[in-house]
Amino acid sequence: MLDGWGDEQLLTALGEAMKARRAVPSWFTETGKNAYAWHNIDAELAQLTYDSRTDTDAMAVARSGSETASIRALTFTSAHLSIELEVADGSLLGQIVPPQSGTLETHTKAGATTSPVDEAGFFALEPIPPGPFLLRFRTTDGAYVMTGWITL
Amino acid sequence: MGLRASRPGLAGHDDPAAATLPARAAAGDQGAWDEIVERYAPMVWSICTSFRLSDRDLEDVAQNVWLQLVEQLGKLPEPATPSGSLGRWLAGWLAATTRRECLRVVTAARGPQPPGMEPPGTQPDDAVIGEEVIVAERNAALRAALAELPPSCQPLIGMLVSDPPSSYTAISTALGIPVESIGPRRARCLERIRESSARLGLAEVGGNRPGGDPGA
Repeated sequence: MLDGWGDEQLLTALGEAMKARRAVPSWFTETGKNAYAWHNIDAELAQLTYDSRTDTDAMAVARSGSETASIRALTFTSAHLSIELEVADGSLLGQIVPPQSGTLETHTKAGATTSPVDEAGFFALEPIPPGPFLLRFRTTDGAYVMTGWITL
Repeated sequence: MGLRASRPGLAGHDDPAAATLPARAAAGDQGAWDEIVERYAPMVWSICTSFRLSDRDLEDVAQNVWLQLVEQLGKLPEPATPSGSLGRWLAGWLAATTRRECLRVVTAARGPQPPGMEPPGTQPDDAVIGEEVIVAERNAALRAALAELPPSCQPLIGMLVSDPPSSYTAISTALGIPVESIGPRRARCLERIRESSARLGLAEVGGNRPGGDPGA
C-alpha cells in the first residue's frame, strides 16, 4: 500500500505523525509511564460499578430528592468484594461488602498511608485526599483488592 | 492473508520489536512499558482532546487507562495468534478504554441525567475508533521509521516535515548542502522510510481495507 504513496503524501503523513507526538504534554506521557509502578502488585483491580454523579438508578434519584443531594457515592466491585465509598462532612466513609476487617492503604502521588478497617467492614478517611488517590484493601487472609484512581 | 504470506517483505505482522513489547513489559521490563506508552500516548491524547476535558479530568483518564493496561499485561493474547496483530489489538483496546474513561468523567462532571436523556455524541463510535487505531498504528510505524534513518537523512526529513516546512534555501544553509542536491537526497531518504516502514509493519497497517477486519 505504501508503495503507491507519492513523496508528498509520505511527507505529509510523516509530518502528521510528528505533530501528533508534539501535541502530547510530557506530564501526560509521564502519567502513563508511572502506572508501571502498579505492575506485579498482585491486587485485583476492582471496577467502578456505581457513581452517584452518573447513575440514574433509584438510589441516586432518592438521594437527589433529599437533603443530601450533594453527597457523592462510589462503588468499586471485584470478583470477591466491593468497596463502597461516601463523601460526608469532609471525610470519606467506606464500607467493605461483605463486611470484614482488614487494612486499607490510601495511595496518593505523595505516598501511602494506612487505616484500619473494623469487623463491620467500616473505615473512615479524614481528611479526604486532596488530589487523585487510589485505595488498596488487604483482607485478613492476605488478598488485595484495589480501586482505580479516584478524583473527588 | 495468502497474498501477504507470499510476500515476505510485506509480511502481515507488527513491527517485530513492537510486537514483543507487551510480553516484555509483562515480564518486568520498564523500558518496554515506556515504549508502549510513548507509542500510544498520542492516540490516547488525541481521543481525550475530542472530549475537551479539563487538565484534572485528563489526568484522571490517563491514570486509569494506563493502570488498566498494566493490569491487562498478564492477560494479553499470544502475539502469534492468527486473530490479527497484537499492536492492532493493543491500540484497539486502548482506544476503547480511553473513550470509556472519557465518557465516565464527562458524565460525572455533568451530573445524573434522567434515563433516556443521553445526549448525542457521547456514545463510542466503532467506525471512529477503527480510524483512530489505524492512524495511531501508522503514525507509530512512521515515527519508528524516522528514528531508524541514518544521520544523513534525519535532519533533512525533520526540516521537510517541520510546521511550517522549511524552504530549500533554509535547508541548504542549515545543513550545508547545495540546494540542487536536496531533491535527490530527499528521494533517497524517503525510499529508506518506505523500506523501514514495510519492515516495521506499515504495509499491513496502510493496506487495511476500509471496514475490513484484520482477524477475518
